[in-house]
Amino acid sequence: RSAAPPPEDWSAALCLVAERSDREAFGRLFSHFAPRVKSYLMRTGSSDALAEELAQEALVTVWRKAALFDPAQAAVSTWIFTIARHLRVDAARRHRLDGAGDECFEFDDLAADQPDAAQRIDATRLAQRVREALRRLPPEQAQVLRLSFYDDEPHARIAAELDLPLGTVKSRIRLAMAHLRRLLDP
Amino acid sequence: MDIRHHPADEQWLSLVAGSLPTGLRLVLETHLELCPACREQVAALRALGGVVLEEQAPAPMRDDALARALDRVDALENDRSAATPSPAAPRKVPAPPPLPDGAVWPRALADCAATRWRWIGPGMRWSRVSVPGAPEANVFLLRIGAGKYLPQHTHRGTELTQVLYGRFHDGRALFGPGDFDLADGEVHHQPVVQDGSECICLAAVEGRLHFDGLIARWFGAAVGM
Ligand SMILES: [Zn+2]
Ligand SMILES: [Zn+2]
Repeated sequence: RSAAPPPEDWSAALCLVAERSDREAFGRLFSHFAPRVKSYLMRTGSSDALAEELAQEALVTVWRKAALFDPAQAAVSTWIFTIARHLRVDAARRHRLDGAGDECFEFDDLAADQPDAAQRIDATRLAQRVREALRRLPPEQAQVLRLSFYDDEPHARIAAELDLPLGTVKSRIRLAMAHLRRLLDP
Repeated sequence: MDIRHHPADEQWLSLVAGSLPTGLRLVLETHLELCPACREQVAALRALGGVVLEEQAPAPMRDDALARALDRVDALENDRSAATPSPAAPRKVPAPPPLPDGAVWPRALADCAATRWRWIGPGMRWSRVSVPGAPEANVFLLRIGAGKYLPQHTHRGTELTQVLYGRFHDGRALFGPGDFDLADGEVHHQPVVQDGSECICLAAVEGRLHFDGLIARWFGAAVGM
């Protein structure tokens, strides 16, 4: 895998999209994030075709909502993850309602989804610290945290996949989270 | 606000991963509005989501994927410049049922409709919250007078409760404004509202059948009290 540019590059690219409708910067964001969004969505159970469509949708949403991105509140990867998550939830709901639900997630709500002004932290730094903390967790703890992002019934699925009782999965998640918190505490 | 009962880590993970049913999600988001400590936790978990996204081995996209995206972007830009943006019609959501001073209608429910307060027993009222696009979500508000109590019950699904106003004790713990509780099949409890003030809670129960059965038991017993 090619070395990923540092996250602040993505912030700058996204600002170019927001301020100058910069297609070249958008192209770079697309080439980096669309295949990862697609990969993530396939891992959560979407078909190749649906994941491709939603990855498209996610990046077009990045263009549409670029002006709402606030680097003080979220790293670009965090922001795009949130968009992908909303699209996944929406697609699952439309599927469940068999097309009956035309209610779409309103992405302007994303701003409200973020921590408030009093709580602003350096989001890029937080993402960096989380990445490092995840690396330092014992592998079995990092594993349950990662797996938690992949399934609609994450705990039951993790229990089945790792052949663990459900209670053990929950306590391992809590252990992992406590560990992560300690690593994030300055 | 002195919040002592918070959602557990695995619930926040489910929220951030997008794997929670709508009703449960709204209760957790309501807690988030009230609780700075949990907002901090969730910011870290969202960052973790971004890290997991970054870690993905890229899946090959169609050859024309970027070209298609740029076409869509061009179409958007043309729409934007061609049409003078008509202000979005304000969503018509009827006013929520009145809350006492000091209780705030959660922003998480901004698009939801709620019925007026309906009588279910002496000093006990409830309001059904309907969530747009999620008819399956079982969300409601309970408004119980000082000193009143719900009958002893257990749960056939997951019941999430977020205290918006007042206090209750359910034999396990005392819950006050901002506090969150999860009760499932392992919990037998009897929420008793403390003297001095009524108590208003937002609650969601997962699964319509569970909800109906549960509510019928609560409410049936409440009315006969
Ligand atoms: Zn909390
Ligand atoms: Zn209960």
